Amino acid sequence: MTKRKNWGWYALFTAPLVIIFSVVVIIPFLIGIYYSFFDWDGIAANPMVFVGLENFAKLFDDERFLNSAWLTIKFTVLAVISVNIVGLGFALLVTSNLRTANTARTMVFMPYLIGGLMLGYIWQFVFSDVFTLIGEITGLDSIFLNWLLDPNYSLYALVVVFTWQMAGYIMIIYIAGIQAIPGELLEASKIDGANNWQKLRKIIFPLLMPSFTISLFLTLSSAFKIYDTNLSLTGGGPANSTEMFAMNIYNEIFGYSNYGLGQAKAIVFFLIVAVIALTQVYLTKKREVEM
Amino acid sequence: MKFKKRALVSMLMIAFMLVLTACSGGSSEKGSSKEGSKESSDKKITIFQSKVEISEQLEKLAKEYTKETGVEVEIWGTTGDDYLQQLQIKLNSKQGPSIFSLQHVKEAEKLNSYVYDMSNEEYVKNIAPNMELKYDDKIVGVPYGVEGFGLVYNKDLVKPEDLKDYQSFKSTLEKLKADGINPFGLSQEAYFLIGHISNYPFALQKDHFDFIDQLSEGKVTMADTKEFQEFGKFFEAIKANAANPLDVNYDKEIGDFASGKTAMIHQGNWAYGMLKDYDLGFEIGMLPFPLNGNDKLSVGVGNNWAINGTKDKEEVKNANDFLKWMLNSDLGKKYIVEEFGFVPAMTNIDPGELDPLSQAVFEASNSGNTIPWAQNYYPANVVTNDFTPVAQEFFISKDMTGQELIEKLDAAWQNAVK
Repeated sequence: MTKRKNWGWYALFTAPLVIIFSVVVIIPFLIGIYYSFFDWDGIAANPMVFVGLENFAKLFDDERFLNSAWLTIKFTVLAVISVNIVGLGFALLVTSNLRTANTARTMVFMPYLIGGLMLGYIWQFVFSDVFTLIGEITGLDSIFLNWLLDPNYSLYALVVVFTWQMAGYIMIIYIAGIQAIPGELLEASKIDGANNWQKLRKIIFPLLMPSFTISLFLTLSSAFKIYDTNLSLTGGGPANSTEMFAMNIYNEIFGYSNYGLGQAKAIVFFLIVAVIALTQVYLTKKREVEM
Repeated sequence: MKFKKRALVSMLMIAFMLVLTACSGGSSEKGSSKEGSKESSDKKITIFQSKVEISEQLEKLAKEYTKETGVEVEIWGTTGDDYLQQLQIKLNSKQGPSIFSLQHVKEAEKLNSYVYDMSNEEYVKNIAPNMELKYDDKIVGVPYGVEGFGLVYNKDLVKPEDLKDYQSFKSTLEKLKADGINPFGLSQEAYFLIGHISNYPFALQKDHFDFIDQLSEGKVTMADTKEFQEFGKFFEAIKANAANPLDVNYDKEIGDFASGKTAMIHQGNWAYGMLKDYDLGFEIGMLPFPLNGNDKLSVGVGNNWAINGTKDKEEVKNANDFLKWMLNSDLGKKYIVEEFGFVPAMTNIDPGELDPLSQAVFEASNSGNTIPWAQNYYPANVVTNDFTPVAQEFFISKDMTGQELIEKLDAAWQNAVK
């Protein structure tokens, strides 16, 4: 088979995807970069004024934007940690000799099938009605209060919901990783007298590095980009205490009608996500071990 | 080898065939419908409007219109709060509706290049004096109807003489709270939380246009203005006595009022649409919000029908025909009054039997006993973007005072006009 014929096959299957990807991602992205140099209110018929890099300079005076950046970082750190701990925990649990392993797997994965928007509304009910009810009954109303109404708790509420949603998906990745570990290795370690912790620490974790790379990348990028759950659960409130990056950009563009400035934010956002995600992939990849 | 080559070729052929048939399928469909029933397929208008309360009824009206004239009318839904953003997206992608709603002159200014000049249309002649939406001396919008808001109250629990000024308002709240009734209801949505109620201190200025201009230029501040200071005190009284509005949505606000758990709510006559679904065991009425002894209801036009002038001539004509039909035919008028529950702003429409809230608005509007909707001249989107976070902060933090609320509103305003 010559290379040329292979090329035909590649083209047949990739061309549609390349075309769709360019139309919905690459071209809008380039247009977005173009818009970020203009002062424009987003109405097609109104004038666009070229302002060069002024929009980018303005970003650093925008307190609300900087605040949302800080919140996003805080949220991402918390979310990545909690999603991965919960996901890995469940993965270890359901790959052990648990009798209800299959049921548990399904149950944990289920929330991922529900859209983030829906989850937000469901949890809104949980926090506002169920939590206050529990608080009333048990008297623990310093913990069980409506988290969504308290600027100190609302971010954690978002972390809880995000974990609830993502953990199942991440669990599946870890399960795949754990199942790929050859049984002989674990058996051999057992014969050598390793306890569970040693097995975990010396065999499972190093061999799971590829799964860590993927899971961290997925949670990191989706936590950074969170919008749907943010919108439906808190709407950025109360008092802007949960206005994440993506929502800030949306509000700038559609709320204040500053297309140029909003686009500039979006570009900066893209760069930050790209840099962080790539660094993380580079770092974790280095630690992957070959068997 | 050979087989693989043949497979590749046949795959490509299949792909081509699929593409071709898909294309031709589309075009032939179009062709046949054009020849077939020209009436129904070509004549189509779309309406995108912001009032959630009337969307079902409007759809019914649209069906009646289609039955009568053969023109298809499609209604697009919205959830309300971000209507302008949604509209903007639709207009920018050149898929805008033929008829849309505009709240006020600031929006008309923004969408100036889209709005159609209705000045020469027949139906605008019937608009009640000063109620049309004008921009640049052109009439660009027909009012939905006049609306008014104030304190909607339960006549069993509250007497009008209990709500004359700050002192009586405050003591009424305290008394009701002591009786175990939630005295006052606001709800978490931007306009019901702070949007409408913030209208009073602005509207009570001698010239609210001038005041707003000066405020935007930084010549005056809310914090130094008497009406706003008192507004802050009202908000303190509300925070101290009423249920936290951030915990309450529109449905709950209305539901609690209808079931007698809340004595009064800050709402407009539009709320009757929901109230009538309940079996009210008491009489209701609407009172002015007694800021600075105010004894007038806030009455204005909340929404206007506007036509998208960038559509082709035929569609604009169809849109005009629909508005004309809605505002002049017996069925259209009946819908406006009975189904939408509007207090008509058209001289050719008889208001008929009004519900108690609309009656109050109608009477106030007829006797001129009203204060204007200064909120129509707020900077665009200031309520959702800037006022709401401040109001949320006020209701969350226990020690934030009314004066601090006003100062933060000042800052929010400056942020919106910068």
